[in-house]
Order: sequence, then C-alpha cells, then structure tokens
Amino acid sequence: MTLAIEAENLGKAYKVQGMAPPTLLGTCMRLINRKPWERFWALRDVDIKIPKGTTVGVIGPNGSGKSSMLGLIAGTITPTTGNVRTQGRISSLLELGAGFHPDLTGRENVFLNAAILGIPREFVRKRFDHIVDFAGLREFIDMPVKHYSSGMYVRLGFSVALEMNPDILLVDEVLAVGDMAFQMQCLDRIRQFQKQGKTLVFVTHALETVEQFCDEVMLIHDGKLIMQGAPSDVIFNYLKSYMVRIGMLNVEEHGTRDVEMLDATFLDEMGNETATFESGGVMTVEIRYKAYKRIEKPVFGFNIKTGNGFYVFGSNTQMEKVPIDSIEGEGTMRLRIDPLTLKKGNFFLSLSIHSWDHSVQYHRREDWHPFAVKDLSETPGLMRLNHTWEHRE
Amino acid sequence: MHILKTINMYRDLVWNLVARDLKGRYKGSVLGFLWTVLTPLFMAIIYIFFLRLIAGRGVPIQNEDIIIGVFAWQFTVQCVSSGMSCVTGSSSLVKKVYFPRLLLPLSITLSSLINFLLMLLVQLIIVSILLFREGQILDPWTAALPVIIIYHFLFNFSLVMLVSAANVYFRDTQHVVNLFLSAWFFMSPVMYTFSLVQTMTADIPILQPIYLLNPLAVIISGYRSMQLPGAEFPWSNAALIGWLWPAVLLIIAYLVFQRAQRNFSDML
Repeated sequence: MTLAIEAENLGKAYKVQGMAPPTLLGTCMRLINRKPWERFWALRDVDIKIPKGTTVGVIGPNGSGKSSMLGLIAGTITPTTGNVRTQGRISSLLELGAGFHPDLTGRENVFLNAAILGIPREFVRKRFDHIVDFAGLREFIDMPVKHYSSGMYVRLGFSVALEMNPDILLVDEVLAVGDMAFQMQCLDRIRQFQKQGKTLVFVTHALETVEQFCDEVMLIHDGKLIMQGAPSDVIFNYLKSYMVRIGMLNVEEHGTRDVEMLDATFLDEMGNETATFESGGVMTVEIRYKAYKRIEKPVFGFNIKTGNGFYVFGSNTQMEKVPIDSIEGEGTMRLRIDPLTLKKGNFFLSLSIHSWDHSVQYHRREDWHPFAVKDLSETPGLMRLNHTWEHRE
Repeated sequence: MHILKTINMYRDLVWNLVARDLKGRYKGSVLGFLWTVLTPLFMAIIYIFFLRLIAGRGVPIQNEDIIIGVFAWQFTVQCVSSGMSCVTGSSSLVKKVYFPRLLLPLSITLSSLINFLLMLLVQLIIVSILLFREGQILDPWTAALPVIIIYHFLFNFSLVMLVSAANVYFRDTQHVVNLFLSAWFFMSPVMYTFSLVQTMTADIPILQPIYLLNPLAVIISGYRSMQLPGAEFPWSNAALIGWLWPAVLLIIAYLVFQRAQRNFSDML
C-alpha cells in the first residue's frame, strides 16, 4: 500500500499578536520590553497516513484546525513540528478564482488562473471553449472581471479548476459556496476523481456528504486528532459527544426538572445505536426519564429542525392522542418514526415533557440531539412525499 | 542549480505573472506605457534645468550623462517600489495556493526589466540624437549593454527579495525604504558623474573607494562608459569590489527570502 500523504508529529503554532499588522517599530518595542510571544497551537501531534486512492474526510467544529491541516498538506503553511511527505501533484478546490486580476479580462484570467493551478497552457488552449461554455460566460469573456458578479467570478474560477488533473485533490468547504447546480457539479467532479483512483481529502460540515463519499474520516478538535476510522463511527462519535459538549449547537435546556430526561438514544432498524439514518428507513429514539414525583398525564413531545433551523415537523403525545396516565420513577419512552421520510441532511431533534394543560414545562431540550440522514436515491428535496405516477393515453 | 530547475518547471506561471503585472500596469491609464518613459524623461529634464540654473555652466556634466543616469536609476526604483508589495499584495494567492514564493519577486523584477528595456530603447534614441548634434555617435561598447543589464537585473532582484520579505514582517518597511531611497539617490551618480566625486573628495581621497562600493555607482558609471564615447570607467580595486559584492548579496537575499517565506502565510 503506497501512501499518498504521510506525516508524523505534525504541529502548527501561531504567534498570538494583536490586530495590527506587524511593524518594525512594534517589533523594536517588543524587543526592548522583552515581551515573549504567546503561542497558539492550531494543530498538534497529528499523525497522518493516507493511502493512495482513498477519500478522507476531515470533520470537526469551527476553529478546530481542519483548514490548517489542509494548508499544511497543500504546502501553503509551513509546519512548526514534523513534516508532510506527499506523492504526486497536489491541487485544491479551495482557491476558486485565486489570483484573478480585476483589470484583466475573463480570457486572460483563465490562462493566469490555470497557470497558478498548474494546468499546462496548451491544454487550456485546447479546452478553452469548453471552459467558457461551462461557466456560461461566452459573451462576457473579453470583459474585465472586475465587472463580473460574484457568481460569475466563482463560476469561471470553478470551470478552470475542473480542468485540473492532480494526484491529490484537497477540497475545503466548497459545498458551502455556490448554488445547488454548482454543488452538484462539484460532487460529480469529485466522484469522477474517485473513479480515476485519485486521493481526496476534504473538509466539510456537510456530514451526509462525508458519509456518502469518504472511505475514512478524521475528527479534529482543538488541534488534536481525536478519532479516525469508518465514516459512520466517527460521525456518530462527533455528533454524540462533541457538538453538544462544546456547545456548538444552539442548545437549550430548561424546565422544572420534576421529570428529567436522562438520555436519548438513536437506534436503527436493527436496534443498534447510530446517529445516521437512511432515508426511508426506521428511526427509533429511546428516551430514558426519571420522574422525581408522581406526574399525572404528562405529555411527551418532539420536533425536528434542519441544520439551519428550519422547522420540519413537531408533535406530541397529546396531539397524537396517546395519553399517558401517570409516571413515577425511571422509565423509557420510545419514539418510532417509520418511514423516516427526511432526505439527506443534518437535523436536530428537540424533546420535551410538559403537563397536560401546558402550564408546567418539566424538561425541554431544544436542538439537543443531532442526527444525519443519508439518501441513496437521486431525488432532491427536504423530505420524500409519497406519490404515484399514472399515465393515461 | 536546484532553484533554476524549479523556475523552469514553473515558467508558465512566471510568464503569466509577468503578463498580469505588465497588463495591470498599463491598462489603468490611457497613456499606458508612455508614462513609464515620460517619467524618467521629465525627471531628467527637471534635473538638467535646475542643475544649470543653480550650479551654472560650471558643472562638468553632459545632458546625456543625466539622461542615462536617471533611466538606470529608475530601473532600480521601479523594482524596489513595485516589488515591495509583491508578496503582501498577493496574500490570497500565497495563503491558498502552493508555488515557490520566489516567483513573486522574480516575476515583478522581470516585468520591471521588460519595462526598462522599452525605456532603454527610448533612452538610446534620445542619447543618439544628442550625440549626433555634437557630431558624435554611440560608443561601440553599447553592443555589450546586455551584460550590464543582466547584472543590474540580478542586483535589483536581490533588493526585491529583501524588501518584499521585509514588508511581510514589518508593514512599515515602506517608510524606511523610501528614506533610504532618497539618501541613496544622492549617494549615487545620477545627476552627477564620478568625476565630480573625485574633485569634491580631493582632500580626503579615502572617500572615493568607499563611494565605489555602492553597486549603483559602478552600474550607472558602467552604463555611461559603455554608451558615451570618451567616458572612462573609473577602474580601481574598490570598483572591482563594488562589482563583485552584489554576487554575495544575491546569495544572502536568496537565503533570507527562502527562510522568510516559510512564515508568509502566517504573517499575511
């Protein structure tokens, strides 16, 4: 097994300095005052071994060191400790339109950008029409790019980037920019790269994409490699322990705590604990609670929101006419969603227990439980609507 | 040797960066390239006018001397002033894409060189006309100008490497460099010739070899003695050292730049 990317004991420390750019006078003052630099480790003691032809996802909360790691692999950042060895040409899908000169025309910038990305000039000349048509900028190609809209800018940068043919491709949050069509093209290109046996490393917050594309996932937090392994395991671990613990989610918890939810466990069809579900499958949530006093007619409720806060669905045992007489002590409540009609994405489950007349909130956990849905079908959208087609002549 | 191989590997990018710089330089203004020729020309005219006005006819300097001096001086000034921000101005590129950072000072110096070659063409025409009016022609050594141009280029390249790297670490480099440039202008034989230095330092002859340690002193004197018939280059041991030490400077500048570039993306 040949390694495409290898690094041991990789670390990157930054000097912590104020907002002002460094100046000669400032440095002299610092030397006189003998003020030592404070150091901040963006990444520390990370070992990387990525075999050729594999796709590796890097996940972790914002500011955990993901981008620093890509920069170290790409060579734009020099490591403080350790070093990175790579095999083959590296390019990254993160510099869309990097080096575009506003005064130059689209045509001139295509060649400039291609040279920056290491695409041979001859090749660009041959593919030029294709690049321009793909970006849909034929009539604007001889106009200075300073007159382009930001969308045009990115499209042109992207269609140039598509012509890259590196051995190792680094992708940093590309899926966060651009519209739907743009993202689809990105993913198509990524699939193509995979088929050609290229090595891919990508950083993203779109966990379902990680699940879908990656052979292996690295979880990074506070500059340390926390976990590395199969996508579903790592994502599960990430969602379960990290997002909540570090308060990345907009989590809220309140209530009188006469009844307390001890924990909530996501189970798949087979009864195994998981945090990723298949669209169309079964999702079971097991809620363990403890009632410190006898509660008459409690109401259990849930709601599901998308990763960006869109309210998808909510209901409770009162609305569904499943009254519970009373609870006391420990017990378990099962919520079964079958079939789970959500399409792929990251979602948040909120749970609550309140009194029959809504006057007392016993315990409510807002956006507390994240989960991901993956989807093998091609249909777009937020949820699947049950439907049939009928053809009549 | 390794570095030459790398540059060759990235020559596509070098030329694209040079083209970007040149196009960017000219596209903004209507007169475009004309300005780069007019600037040193007007400077030369101003110097000639005021030198004649203030110092009178007694100053032993020819108009051709001043024109050659100003054009050569402009080459260095242009490199230093546009090269200062060649790394800081490409921060998005440096942060996002890997390529040998050396290409940035290299391409800016190359584009200044192309600019200078065009300027030099105009300068040669003007000097020829001035000489023709005195019944003279250009010295045959003019044909050897490429040698001194390459030397001058490498010297400027060293300076660009140093100031561009310094500017990343100290954003107030510009002020320091501007001060240095204005002092350097008077310490170099731009609006006078070395013979004036010789007359002025007749009492303290030790100053003459020190003066010649300034690479621009030998470079500008070199340009003059190559193009003007009767202009002698002030050969001496000091002048020889003046020619040789920029080779050391080139190596030092290269090492400093390569060391400094490791932290470029952190500092930008």
